[in-house]
Amino acid sequence: MSATFTKSMARNVFYGGGVFFFLLFLALTFDTMKVLPTRDNSQNITPAVAHGKKLWETNNCIGCHTLLGEGAYFAPELGNVYVRRGPDFIKAWIKGQPTGVPGRRQMPQFNLSDADIDDVVAFLKYASEINTNKWPPNIEG
Amino acid sequence: MLTQNATINLVELQQVPILKEGENLPGDFALWIFIFAEMLVFGVLFVAYAFTRANNVELFNASQLTLSRTSGAINTLVLITSSYFVVRGVAAIKLGLSKQCADWLMGAFLLGGVFISIKIVEFHAKFAADISMSTNAFYMFYLSLTFFHFMHVLMGMVILASIIVKARRGAYNAQHHTGVETGASFWHMVDFLWIILFPLIYIIR
Amino acid sequence: MKYKSQAVAKLYFIAAIGLFLGQILFGLIMGLQYVVGDFLFPAIPFNVARMVHTNLLIVWLLFGFMGASYFLIPEESETELFSPKLAIITFWVFLAAGAITVLGYLLVPYASLAKWTGNDLLNTMGREFLEQPLPTKVGIVLVALSWLFNITMTMLKGRKTAISLVLTLGMLGLAVFFLFSFYNPVNLVKDKFYWWWVVHLWVEGVWELILGAMLAFVLIKVTGVDREVVEKWLYVIITMTLVTGIIGTGHHYYWIGTPVYWQWWGSVFSALEPIPFFMMTVFAFNMVNKRRREHPNKAAVLWALGTSVMAFLGAGVWGFLHTLAPVNYYAHGTQLTAAHGHLAFYGAYALVVLTMISYAMPIIRGRAANPERAQIMEMWSFWLMTVSIFFITLFLTGAGIVQIWLQRISTTPMSFMAVQDQISIFYWAREAAGVVFLIGLLLYITSFFVKGESKAFE
Repeated sequence: MSATFTKSMARNVFYGGGVFFFLLFLALTFDTMKVLPTRDNSQNITPAVAHGKKLWETNNCIGCHTLLGEGAYFAPELGNVYVRRGPDFIKAWIKGQPTGVPGRRQMPQFNLSDADIDDVVAFLKYASEINTNKWPPNIEG
Repeated sequence: MLTQNATINLVELQQVPILKEGENLPGDFALWIFIFAEMLVFGVLFVAYAFTRANNVELFNASQLTLSRTSGAINTLVLITSSYFVVRGVAAIKLGLSKQCADWLMGAFLLGGVFISIKIVEFHAKFAADISMSTNAFYMFYLSLTFFHFMHVLMGMVILASIIVKARRGAYNAQHHTGVETGASFWHMVDFLWIILFPLIYIIR
Repeated sequence: MKYKSQAVAKLYFIAAIGLFLGQILFGLIMGLQYVVGDFLFPAIPFNVARMVHTNLLIVWLLFGFMGASYFLIPEESETELFSPKLAIITFWVFLAAGAITVLGYLLVPYASLAKWTGNDLLNTMGREFLEQPLPTKVGIVLVALSWLFNITMTMLKGRKTAISLVLTLGMLGLAVFFLFSFYNPVNLVKDKFYWWWVVHLWVEGVWELILGAMLAFVLIKVTGVDREVVEKWLYVIITMTLVTGIIGTGHHYYWIGTPVYWQWWGSVFSALEPIPFFMMTVFAFNMVNKRRREHPNKAAVLWALGTSVMAFLGAGVWGFLHTLAPVNYYAHGTQLTAAHGHLAFYGAYALVVLTMISYAMPIIRGRAANPERAQIMEMWSFWLMTVSIFFITLFLTGAGIVQIWLQRISTTPMSFMAVQDQISIFYWAREAAGVVFLIGLLLYITSFFVKGESKAFE
């Protein structure tokens, strides 16, 4: 590196570049927040959905599953499970765990009430209606 | 054609007084790393624009008509002129004329302000018409590219301002003026990018 | 050791290595659960093992960063640490909080843990990597602030070098962006959007400042290259990191409900993210080639070079593999992501902490370098761990590619679990590589106890 390029110039470029791109990021974030209501299905957030999300979190579902592709990769994608399996299957599935089949991956029994399970399903339905730019590629997630 | 001529002009302008013996690039090498990185980003975006346009020619042509070519053209002239001022500023400092250097750069700075003002009016018109990056692919590129460039102009103005302040304080002289050359290189890059951007987005159909 | 107070780093390093061992053990449990699904069920379900695995990783890296900075900052500032006592108290608080949290994960159902720790007051739990109960999260903030305070005060009373400035800035960013872990809106898209402000802006942003500073410090020490040169490189590298990495966050905003334009912004900028890592590799080898002395600690040089190469491979190359939106459309949320995660975390962050430990520990123990035999053992452990994590990455990449094909591209897509059965061979191979990694780690720990004639200070 040439000798005329002093450390203080390098430092200025660092601060300048850092601030520049952070500001750009904030501008994009601002625009994203403005556009989101047309895409994020937030008009369908009901108290049931909110409670369902809380149950999703406090039972650490993300520790095995993915939701919109994020999470662990141990168990199926659930962002579109409402479409793939439908509400009745999901309810029966949650109640039926663990399967106890030897050697198979096991999902714990979370002892949720019927009302709780309805809320989890409401949350998964809400999640399935978010505009994800056509992801996943097919119904299998 | 406009692109080509302008590019050649720029190259000529840059070559006249700046190159010293045994020096290939004015300013500093590390800054050129960033300039190349920036050119790479813009280059990729330009190519992406071209490909997307090829698949949506009608949409792009229709949306393009809503842009104000006049303000784009004025802004092109403004930036080219400002680049000329910057060249004069660099030439001045090479002769050790700090005051003249600062004045020329001040001129460039003010023209940067003119560019920004015109661009804000343009952006305002688009936002008032409820156009955003999510409206369609054309506006996505138009707003992304011009806004990204817009921020570069602001950045360039900040750099010019700091050089002007330092030049006024007499921090540069005929021997030591890497700071001026470095800032000038950045400003020329910003100008150069606009000279590609303008025909690409406003004109080519 | 130039300053007495640097010795507090030892505590932190020991804890870091201990927790690292814990992380690997839980990794092996999970790896086995991938193929023997009911292993340890219901005692340790997969989600619990994963929580422990990832949280231990974060905590031991934080211990490593803190220990490293308590060693590095006094030396850079040429003054004693502002308060060694505060550093020791912070250590025990953090260790206790970490231990209680992990025990909580293991012994209490997660839902009960959430209820007892005030998650009803402020929902923050149950999101990947941010599973910690509210008191632990608050604790992390306090620990980070105490660390930042101690380091800043030390720097203020001494010499201010670029290295310590960059390190402190990285820590400040770490503390600030962690605050977003307290924001958890019901709106899933916003939740995910700001979740990445912690996760991405940590590992592909401010942590890289810490990484760069630590690597620069060790390189100055072991090569004797002029500080001006090293620090200029440091600035240029981290500039590129922020230039590419901040907007690069967009590569997480393709499919989570955020606008389409992120596919362009994210692809273009994240595609450039390998550049700073590549520069780091060039920088490290350059400095070692231009070295002005032969430092007796050969192992530290190996770790430092290893960091630069593996960070480039893991974060740079494997990141690039699936960062472009059209590719990521198929690769998103598959084993390919896991492959990248493993190599990137090991190559960039685990290795840089081990580099610092390798350089600093002998000095803290009163010698310039460890005995020859200990160093050889340490270098063996480097190769065992590095080669085995590389194979883990290759196997997971294989698993990912087959998974993408069978589940997402094929005209007759198979279900998730059916595909998992098809790729179990990759998981078995991964587990075997994991065992080799554990052997490497045990060898590493053993190397600390090898006796012999060690090189004194010059």
